[in-house]
Amino acid sequence: MDQDGEIILVFSSNTRILNAEDLLEEKNLPFTLVPVPKEVNPNCGLALCFMESSQDRIMPVLKAAELMPSAAYRRLGPEFSTWAFE
Amino acid sequence: MIYLDNAATSFPKPPEVLKAVAEALAAPASPGRSGHAPALAASRIIHKARKNLARLLGAPDNSRLVFTPNVTWSLNIVLNGFGLKPGDHVISGSLEHNSTARPLSRFQREGQVNWEVVPPGPDGLLKPEDFKARLNPKTRLVVLNHASNVTGSLAPAKAIKEAIGDIPLLLDAAQTAGSMPMDDYCQWADFIAFTGHKGLLGPTGTGGLWIREGLDLRPLSVGGSGSRSESLVHPDFLPDALEPGTANTHGLAGLAAGVGFLLDVGLDKVRDHEMELTQWFLERIIDIPGLKIIGPGPGVKERVACVSVVLDGWSSSDLAAALESGYGIMVRSGLHCAPLTHQFMNTMPGGASRFSIGYFNTLDDVKTAAWALSELAAKKPSRA
Repeated sequence: MDQDGEIILVFSSNTRILNAEDLLEEKNLPFTLVPVPKEVNPNCGLALCFMESSQDRIMPVLKAAELMPSAAYRRLGPEFSTWAFE
Repeated sequence: MIYLDNAATSFPKPPEVLKAVAEALAAPASPGRSGHAPALAASRIIHKARKNLARLLGAPDNSRLVFTPNVTWSLNIVLNGFGLKPGDHVISGSLEHNSTARPLSRFQREGQVNWEVVPPGPDGLLKPEDFKARLNPKTRLVVLNHASNVTGSLAPAKAIKEAIGDIPLLLDAAQTAGSMPMDDYCQWADFIAFTGHKGLLGPTGTGGLWIREGLDLRPLSVGGSGSRSESLVHPDFLPDALEPGTANTHGLAGLAAGVGFLLDVGLDKVRDHEMELTQWFLERIIDIPGLKIIGPGPGVKERVACVSVVLDGWSSSDLAAALESGYGIMVRSGLHCAPLTHQFMNTMPGGASRFSIGYFNTLDDVKTAAWALSELAAKKPSRA
């Protein structure tokens, strides 16, 4: 899924990302779990990845469940930038 | 074989448990340590166990449910990590297992805490008002064995929590988790410690602890967590804070399956079945000459499915051996790692013989056990 316009969310714990996975699957929202990109974050585990165009459907669901990430990035080709979220 | 030692470890395990353990053991990878598919599958196994347990206990946030090797470890995480200081006062029930009595005794001997034990009432049951009466400004924690692994007495845990107010309650649910409905317990308890291999029908080497929001524990051990790997400081968020090291994936796969089985059956049904057999057993053995039931007799609902007895002329170990050799019945003799309970029940030092019933026992099992006790009551041990 190495495409432009991806949002990558890193969570503080594996449990939080799996709870996020349950929630988004339940609502049939488009996302994947990917290894945390080592270019930007040293965590060992997984990150939640979705296309930027889906952010308005995904982020409110996570916020309502108090499952906000600890860090977020936007990937454009090989370049990562920090992504601001609310 | 008639297995009546479910208070030690439940047997048999549902086929789903055996299958889940075997499948997890055959799969590669550690949970939470890599991003590839097998690692994700392992993480999902742990997550399923966490979700199932959270549902069983009514935990609103499953991240506050941490896995441990057993209930003793869970209890020690609280007792050693709660920040008890010299002069602090800790109250416990009188039917505590050594899993709490030994840590508290050590604290007491080393001058760390003032440990006070609430004795049972004349009926052998604990009274909430007796806990309230012992509160003082230095009371930091109340420790309670939810059900005795000797007498089977069930403590009025919710009423005790109401009586002690804001003082945190550490509930040792070793004998109750999986054997009775507990899906509202996270609404009022503060810490719930459980083991996976008894009523929850999982493998040995699994256990856990639920921690109320707002209560912090200093980890007993720190190390790899798969999170915040760049830092030499162990994570302070749950569950990672209290789950250092690689998890027991195949064990927790079995625990997830065991709890899933119970949720499918329904805890009410499990409780009703175990109580029906227990009451039947108690009613049949109470009139056996020379037999004394250690704990509540027939008709008492505040109990779990374990019944300890002493039989005149028999040591607890001879009786257990005769039950095994003559009838194929497995029970546990001795002190059951609960010397405090045996002191209060006046069964030190010989202890008692304990029959503990599980969900897979049948009426025929307890009929045979009652009949065997009747026969043995009329005999003397062969080596006596």
